[in-house]
Amino acid sequence: MKQKYLFTGFLVLMTWVLINSCNKDLTDNPYYEPGEENAGGNNTIELETSNTFDTPSPALTAAELQMHKDGLVFFEGKFVTNPAPVQGGLGPLFNQSSCEGCHAKNGRAGFPVFQNDLGGLLLRISINGSGPHGEPVNVPYFGTQLQNKAIIGVLPEAQVNWTMESHDEMFADGEVLALQKPVFSLNNPYTPLSENTLISPRVAPPVFGLGLLDAISESTILSNADENDLNHDGISGKANYVWDDLNAKTAIGKFGWKASQPNLYQQSAKAFNEDMGLTSTLYNIESSNGQIQSDAYPDDPELSTQDLELTTFYTQSLGAPRRRNASNATVLKGKQIFIEAKCASCHIPKLVTGITVDNPFNNNQTIFPYTDLLLHDMGTALADNRPDYLANGQEWRTAPLWGIGLTEIVNGHTNFLHDGRARNIMEAILWHGGEAESSKNYVKKLSKTDRNALEYFLKSL
Amino acid sequence: MYTKSILSVLSLSLFIVFTGCKKENPNPITYDYAAQINNIANNVIVKTYTSFDEKTSILASSLAALQSNPNDINLTAARDAWKEARIPWESSEGFLFGPVETEGIDPSIDSWPVNTVDLNAVLASSATLDKNYINSLEGTLKGFHTIEWLLFGISGNKTINDFTPREFEYLAGCSAALEDAIHQLYIAWIPSGGNFVNKLVTAGSGSNIYTSQKAALEEIINGIITIADEVGNGKIYDPFSEQNVSKEESRFSANSKIDFANNIRSIKNIWLGDYNAENSLGFSSIIKEKNSTLDTKIRTQIDEAIESILNIPGTFSDAIFNHPAEVQNAQDKVRALQLSLESEVDPIISNL
Repeated sequence: MKQKYLFTGFLVLMTWVLINSCNKDLTDNPYYEPGEENAGGNNTIELETSNTFDTPSPALTAAELQMHKDGLVFFEGKFVTNPAPVQGGLGPLFNQSSCEGCHAKNGRAGFPVFQNDLGGLLLRISINGSGPHGEPVNVPYFGTQLQNKAIIGVLPEAQVNWTMESHDEMFADGEVLALQKPVFSLNNPYTPLSENTLISPRVAPPVFGLGLLDAISESTILSNADENDLNHDGISGKANYVWDDLNAKTAIGKFGWKASQPNLYQQSAKAFNEDMGLTSTLYNIESSNGQIQSDAYPDDPELSTQDLELTTFYTQSLGAPRRRNASNATVLKGKQIFIEAKCASCHIPKLVTGITVDNPFNNNQTIFPYTDLLLHDMGTALADNRPDYLANGQEWRTAPLWGIGLTEIVNGHTNFLHDGRARNIMEAILWHGGEAESSKNYVKKLSKTDRNALEYFLKSL
Repeated sequence: MYTKSILSVLSLSLFIVFTGCKKENPNPITYDYAAQINNIANNVIVKTYTSFDEKTSILASSLAALQSNPNDINLTAARDAWKEARIPWESSEGFLFGPVETEGIDPSIDSWPVNTVDLNAVLASSATLDKNYINSLEGTLKGFHTIEWLLFGISGNKTINDFTPREFEYLAGCSAALEDAIHQLYIAWIPSGGNFVNKLVTAGSGSNIYTSQKAALEEIINGIITIADEVGNGKIYDPFSEQNVSKEESRFSANSKIDFANNIRSIKNIWLGDYNAENSLGFSSIIKEKNSTLDTKIRTQIDEAIESILNIPGTFSDAIFNHPAEVQNAQDKVRALQLSLESEVDPIISNL
């Protein structure tokens, strides 16, 4: 009798064990949110290959897909010096000759390999102060972006070199990680460069999912702002307000490492103008205007309004990749740590898009970009000390983390942060300071197992 | 007795837990395509790059010889070498993943269009036109199409007397730079170099980027769909629909049709499992066991696409104006192949 009870008891116990030990990939974990795999809502890309970020949203109509492909021609096409029968208008000064030259496979640029051959990295420059709309002030005879390339026969603005500074960070368990930080310098300028030039290195960020971020309303962004830290959690979050050149008014900034661009049309036009030297109807003056490199060739605008609109549409109509292993137990443990360390206070997992007139496929989508699109003080170690509208020299926009786990398969590297200094995700975490100092310290105290879980979670994004 | 019972109950319970967990796994892996992935990686991709490495070396020596001894024989040999080197490149465009992209090599190989304004400025300058200098230039001033533009001339009828010494110098330097770029690509794949091949071969068993065999197979199928799309909806469609030869890829050499056909052959090689040959471990073998009719259909559509491209009369530049029916037919055949790959083959891999 006693044995029968014992047997029954064991069966009950083992049934419980069975239920609770088999859920390595089940979805009843409180940290699992149903639907979080679909990071882009209806625009989620169901692919885990090097082409994932290149893939158009599956929610496009046939006509929208054709527009996307028409825009791709400008995004991937290489531009050449005018006069040319096709793809003309490059330069005279430029950083790269195509969008893809920086945004390879629509992904993230790595840290450059060779001096002065910067790949997808460029330097924003300015002198102290701000312009009439709060914008950075031109470095005389150089502007606000350094172009280290030029068409043949024209002098580039300067050569760009860097040296590395390194220091060690130690986890509580004694493991040490050596961090490195690039310090850039400008050499052989074509004309003397102001001694007060501020330099901000920026790597090209991923392009996918931008249409969804564009569709997030100002009120949604502001609902997460806490500029004066009224809730006393040590994290503020403020919106950048920038100048909208098309509508000639101030607008909330969403794009770029400091949220200094208000929309993708302006972002695209600015990149054509500054990065490639192509004039458009929005920016009809060459970036080299007023400098000896400026050309007198009567070809402006080099890009029609329609071409610019198609390119913009291309960036708006890419989806966002589906999460991998979102309900895996280790991933969910990592997510729990991510929340407990308050990473999720800025890298906000879930947002809902608003309404856009032009791109209905991006409307009312529940997305998981892991950003608040707000500026945060990230401390002195990450500071570029170059203000950009309301962003001061220590503030950066929270970088979206979606797709971060596919960086290696798409781009062949795991370089992160605004200048690509971090060589892997854990290095990137350890560079966090300022408002994220306590989060970093939380991570430093974790066991190796928990750190691995955190990384595993981030790689699932 | 008591202990024995406890032990047996415990054993039974653990058995239930163990087998129960197995049954609970929502996505059991019921396939093993390691042999196919290994075969495609080595016998298609690495073999193609091996040929590419050899052929670009021959191109570089041919253009060095042309610079040393500019004559008709060396000019013909150099043009033939250019066309020969084009074969493995176009045959590799069905798998444009890995180092060709991640190491930024592609722009040095196949950038288009040629920056003719800058090229003329370089030729008119006093710069030494060696490979180091040419390597420092933009992609649109080097690679296949720059060489093609100089070697064949804008109308394809350039004679040996039309060349300047600076052009010979540029061609020699440019092809030496291309040779280096392709060697870098080849080395990046092979085990004794960057060993990218291992990332594919170990898919699902240690590869840091292909976490499953399915991911590697999706990469491969995605690659061949992409090139079918590009040939049908870009390379053929753009110049044809716009009636604009300046959008044609290899018009200076009149090699476009061969280029397009070799693009489709890159699909064929993946499908059949060998570089311009066939073995039993191609992509075909995965599909055949699930749907042999589909395998046959893809094989037929590949051959029809190649044949219809090669059957376009004359040059592609001429045909887009004078033989629209044949050009349209070729485009239709390529699109039909693309559609089958997208709508019938891809779902099989996605549902593994």
